[in-house]
Amino acid sequence: SISVAFLVWPLNEFNYRSTHHLASHGFYEFLNWFDERAWYPLGRIVGGTVYPGLMVTAGLIHWILNMLNVTVHIRDVCVFLAPVFSGLTAISTFLLTRELWNQGAGLLAACFIAIVPGYISRSVAGSFDNEGIAIFALQFTYYLWVKSVKTGSVFWTICCCLSYFYMVSAWGGYVFIINLIPLHVFVLLLMQRYSRRVYIAYSTFYIVGLILSMQIPFVGFQPIRTSEHMAAAGVFALLQAYAFLQYLRDRLTKQEFQTLFFLGVSLAAGTVFLSVIYLTYTGYIAPWSGRFYSLWDTGYAKIHIPIIASVSEHQPTTWVSFFFDLHILVCTFPAGLWFCIKNINDERVFVALYAISAVYFAGVMVRLMLTLTPVVCMLSAIAFSNVFERYLGDDMKRENPPIEDSSDEDDKRNPGNLYDKAGKVRKHVSEQEKTEEGLGPNIKNIVTMLMLMLLMMFAVHCTWVTSNAYSSPSVVLASYNHDGTRNILDDFREAYYWLRQNTDEHARVMSWWDYGYQIAGMANRTTLVDNNTWNNSHIALVGKAMSSNESAAYEIMRSLDVDYVLIIFGGVIGYSGDDINKFLWMVRIAEGEHPKDIRESDYFTPQGEFRVDKAGSPTLLNCLMYKMSYYRFGEMQLDFRTPPGFDRTRNAEIGNKDIKFKHLEEAFTSEHWLVRIYKVKQLDNRETLDHKPRVTNIVPKQKYLSKKTSKRKRGYIKNKLILKKGKRPNRKTV
Amino acid sequence: MAGLSCRLLLLCLAAAGASADLVLEEVRRSLDLSTHLAKISAELSLANAPGGAAASTFLLALEPGLEPRLAHLGVQVKGEEEEENALEVKETKVKGKSGKFFSVKLPSPLAPGAKVRVSVEMVFTHVLQPYPTHITQSEKQFVVFEGNHYFYSPYVTKTQTTRVKLASRNVESYTKLGNPSRTEDTIEYGPFKDIPPYSQDTLKVHYENNSPFLTITSMTRVIEVSHWGNIAVEETVDLKHTGAVLKGPFSRYDYQRQPDSGISSVKSFKTILPAAAQDVYYRDEIGNISTSHLLVLDDSVEMEIRPRFPLFGGWKTHYIIGYNLPSYEYLYNLGDQYALKMRFVDHVFDEQVTDSLTVKIVLPEGAKNIHVDSPYEINRASDELHYTYLDTFGRPVIVAHKSNLVEQHIQDIVVHYTFNKILMLQEPLLVVGAFYILFFTVIVYVRLDFSITKDPAAEARMKVACITEQVLTLVNKRLGLYRHFDEAVNKYKQSRDISTLNSGKKSLEMEHKALTNEIASLQSKLKTEGSDLCDKVSEIQKLDGQVKELVLKSSVEAERLVAGKLKKDTYIENEKMHSNKRQDLVSKIDNILDAL
Repeated sequence: SISVAFLVWPLNEFNYRSTHHLASHGFYEFLNWFDERAWYPLGRIVGGTVYPGLMVTAGLIHWILNMLNVTVHIRDVCVFLAPVFSGLTAISTFLLTRELWNQGAGLLAACFIAIVPGYISRSVAGSFDNEGIAIFALQFTYYLWVKSVKTGSVFWTICCCLSYFYMVSAWGGYVFIINLIPLHVFVLLLMQRYSRRVYIAYSTFYIVGLILSMQIPFVGFQPIRTSEHMAAAGVFALLQAYAFLQYLRDRLTKQEFQTLFFLGVSLAAGTVFLSVIYLTYTGYIAPWSGRFYSLWDTGYAKIHIPIIASVSEHQPTTWVSFFFDLHILVCTFPAGLWFCIKNINDERVFVALYAISAVYFAGVMVRLMLTLTPVVCMLSAIAFSNVFERYLGDDMKRENPPIEDSSDEDDKRNPGNLYDKAGKVRKHVSEQEKTEEGLGPNIKNIVTMLMLMLLMMFAVHCTWVTSNAYSSPSVVLASYNHDGTRNILDDFREAYYWLRQNTDEHARVMSWWDYGYQIAGMANRTTLVDNNTWNNSHIALVGKAMSSNESAAYEIMRSLDVDYVLIIFGGVIGYSGDDINKFLWMVRIAEGEHPKDIRESDYFTPQGEFRVDKAGSPTLLNCLMYKMSYYRFGEMQLDFRTPPGFDRTRNAEIGNKDIKFKHLEEAFTSEHWLVRIYKVKQLDNRETLDHKPRVTNIVPKQKYLSKKTSKRKRGYIKNKLILKKGKRPNRKTV
Repeated sequence: MAGLSCRLLLLCLAAAGASADLVLEEVRRSLDLSTHLAKISAELSLANAPGGAAASTFLLALEPGLEPRLAHLGVQVKGEEEEENALEVKETKVKGKSGKFFSVKLPSPLAPGAKVRVSVEMVFTHVLQPYPTHITQSEKQFVVFEGNHYFYSPYVTKTQTTRVKLASRNVESYTKLGNPSRTEDTIEYGPFKDIPPYSQDTLKVHYENNSPFLTITSMTRVIEVSHWGNIAVEETVDLKHTGAVLKGPFSRYDYQRQPDSGISSVKSFKTILPAAAQDVYYRDEIGNISTSHLLVLDDSVEMEIRPRFPLFGGWKTHYIIGYNLPSYEYLYNLGDQYALKMRFVDHVFDEQVTDSLTVKIVLPEGAKNIHVDSPYEINRASDELHYTYLDTFGRPVIVAHKSNLVEQHIQDIVVHYTFNKILMLQEPLLVVGAFYILFFTVIVYVRLDFSITKDPAAEARMKVACITEQVLTLVNKRLGLYRHFDEAVNKYKQSRDISTLNSGKKSLEMEHKALTNEIASLQSKLKTEGSDLCDKVSEIQKLDGQVKELVLKSSVEAERLVAGKLKKDTYIENEKMHSNKRQDLVSKIDNILDAL
């Protein structure tokens, strides 16, 4: 029997490493941390370039537990942080949905968010990402915002600001909040739904939230200096103007007011707009960053920032992935949206805006699916809950959705009623006496069954997706034999651990940036580039080294002090996410910075194909990446049906089987050849000639052989005239 | 201390004085060099020359070259009966001679002229030096052993033979003193006659040895004892291949395709865990190592450990292995006296070498009077305190070090301590107390009012809510009465028994009156609270009056129908009208109730 003690490793090695640093060195040391292991030779100032929320949360939990003598390793805290926070997310989703609709819908929403694959991807144990806690902060901030708009109480707004502060400390996606809330206020103004409550909520939120958000070192002065945050400031100014006009209205006649109103509003809007443009132009406000542009123009990244486009998470979302991540919720959530819009009130305006903007962003980028998931859960829950109330409520009094918040408000305000809520769902005498109107029991049953079927299928789908797609860490691959037994391919960790144990502690490892965090975390070695892709030119340099020929690459590697090169090669087992398949992105990124040396077209065949076999372009067949991937692969026969050197991933026999290295040396290859590590040799003491020595005529071609025999040991003169004696013909008589 | 050394010196002198008469009649020595250890065993036949004093001890000597690498020395007397007793060995010094000396105490003093057969077992580590020191992947590993042709001894040896066992028949060179004979993988030297004391002559063998040169460079073994029935053992192991260092590239292709490529590398090894081991885990800093197999046998648990990567010369790895044991097999007690009997070091792989070992034994919180019995010398460091789940003043930790250990060191160590059993209750009580405090706080918080300001409005609202709730139930009850009465009327219509109707009517009247009064009193209460709900209640009362009228009317009609004073058609018509009206009224009441 195999005993497997599972110990999950936090998926995001960088976050784990920083948390570990925080836990072992303290908070201030963490803020001042300069990580010399990343971005060699530049290093990285971690404290100032990171959202510390996640690490501080994990570190705090670890600290508290250890104070109570609960000896939990920081790694275990990191591993289980995401599930804990997904529980909190479910609770805050429940609260938010209850504010928006009713308790039943809230419960459904909490159930949905608990199992929906779109969020499970960030909340499985071991996923230690900013997003995991950020979604909780997002939902909770929205709940508190809705609460403060409903009550107009400064207390709730301050709570909302604190939650927003947490969100800012956790994830760059806080920009979504700081744009959505002003949008909500703005739309409320347009809908003539201005009230004192909105005024109190937004004014407090903007000021306190702004100040709090600026406390995060990484955010700093961005909230007042970048365009992304200007909408909030504009709406703040507009709201003040609007409130002032409202105040004036009490003191002016209607005619006077109307002229003043339009004049005032348009003037205020104009001033805000113009001043933003002016400040942007003069450089006080930074223009929108490229990443932000790519949200509006989906083609932008492809042209200008290939590094962003190269990340699979930044691709536009396909319909398949919508269905994969949300399943039937994607169909039912428009119904929920319709219910909300039909019975509109202040907070439902908010959820409608949330839904619409999130749908847009999720369509732009796969990654932003995450912001869409909670709102889809909430609106679907509203739709389902409405349907069930109609079709499942046999003798139950249907609770009409509270049309105006005042009555609902009343309930909430006196806590005494909370206990008596159940009393509201009492048997109605009148209904018992009435005959059932409209719907026959059959229809009710059928509809209910259908809905339940849908929900069951949803649950099955979620379980399936979770077990298949999200519960195996990407660092361990599993394959299944035909008899159902599982094979674990642990090549990544094998190679990383080899690096960790058997290389010099300060060895510098060059790899494509995808593996930077993993190398830093698992192998504990210095990397050149990593997943925090802030320095495009450095990445381009690595890309250039990978796509040049060996001697050119050697120069780059020497200049970067590279000791080892690590690549991922899936040709033996048919792993498609390997470096050859990513290679065109490396070429593209390298071309962006070094257009003279690297041209993407060189790597294609004249027909414009990317091929690794004999027909592939010679530049490709001789570039470093190709050579490192296929070194000695040409001798390997995987199967009797295929020729030696048959690449399973690309289904082709490789074109260059005779690969020799001059400056590199194979240092390690993992069991299934998934990871190959090469050592960069030091310069030779004496340059060896790579061609045959030049042949001159001075040296005779044939070795001189002495014709002296032991008998004739006399002197010998070269080219001596030799007397040739003719042969005497045989005398023969005819 | 000074006294002790003084006594030791005296003992030495005494031993030296007495040993002058001892002679080694015959020495049969065998060197086992087939693994990475040098195991030297010798059978001595020790004779006390007639005429001298009886010898109670004799001296064993180690030549200067090998002496720091000695890991284990065991001496036994070979008796006629196969009972073998280990003899007591003490390190001593001999003046003017280098090397290491041990004085061995014989079980009974050796009388002059008597003989005794003694077998000596010595294990040396790191004495086989790889030569060449660096090899490529395809090369084989050769090692050199340097030793002594003679049995190094302070006594005269009459006759001696040496047999050297090698790992393979592939021998590069060996010293040829006395024309040794060689067969396959063994070399036989001797017999050498009449060797003077302290004679040395270098024996050198250079041969192929591909056995795994694995060394545990450092190991930490933590044993955590719980009196709740569990002993947790965790071993952190640093492993290194100390053979010839791999030079040049490591080619996976060659390693996979050619059987003799990397022949000296280590792919996997077997660790034998105690038979009761449960919940075994095998991992390192980056998580579980998925390449291990566990085989549960009757008398042990075998674990096939495969490091993440094959270990070539000079490569190292690091891993953690841990398991749980039931405490009843290792922990003994008598009242408050406890004794823990566990192995100081356990099996990691066959022919294991541990350069440095740290053992930490975590005893339960409150263990006192700790005393350690060990079978061999260990270096105790100062005790530590360990805090873990639910600890308040810390668990005592015994820390012990020892270096250069081999398989022969797998022996039991006994830790005696006293522990008050009452302390077992401490941890559960702590949990109970914590929960108690938590619940109590919640109870206090919920039951008491902590608000800074009194809110009379809220209080009034709560009161009103309470009253309205009562009103609601009462009104509902009252409406229920009508239904009861309706049933009575229907029954009457079928049975034509006027008494049922009358009794129904009576009960309706009575209960209705009571309920109405109650509602009225509640209504007045509402009025005193100053709530506007009062008006609504009065409206309900009014509507209810109408309903009641209708109900009574319909009952009268039913009476008339039964009596035959009314035609059926008209009755049905009227009834329909009534019921419609009633429904209107009831729904009105309902609406008002909803609004409450």
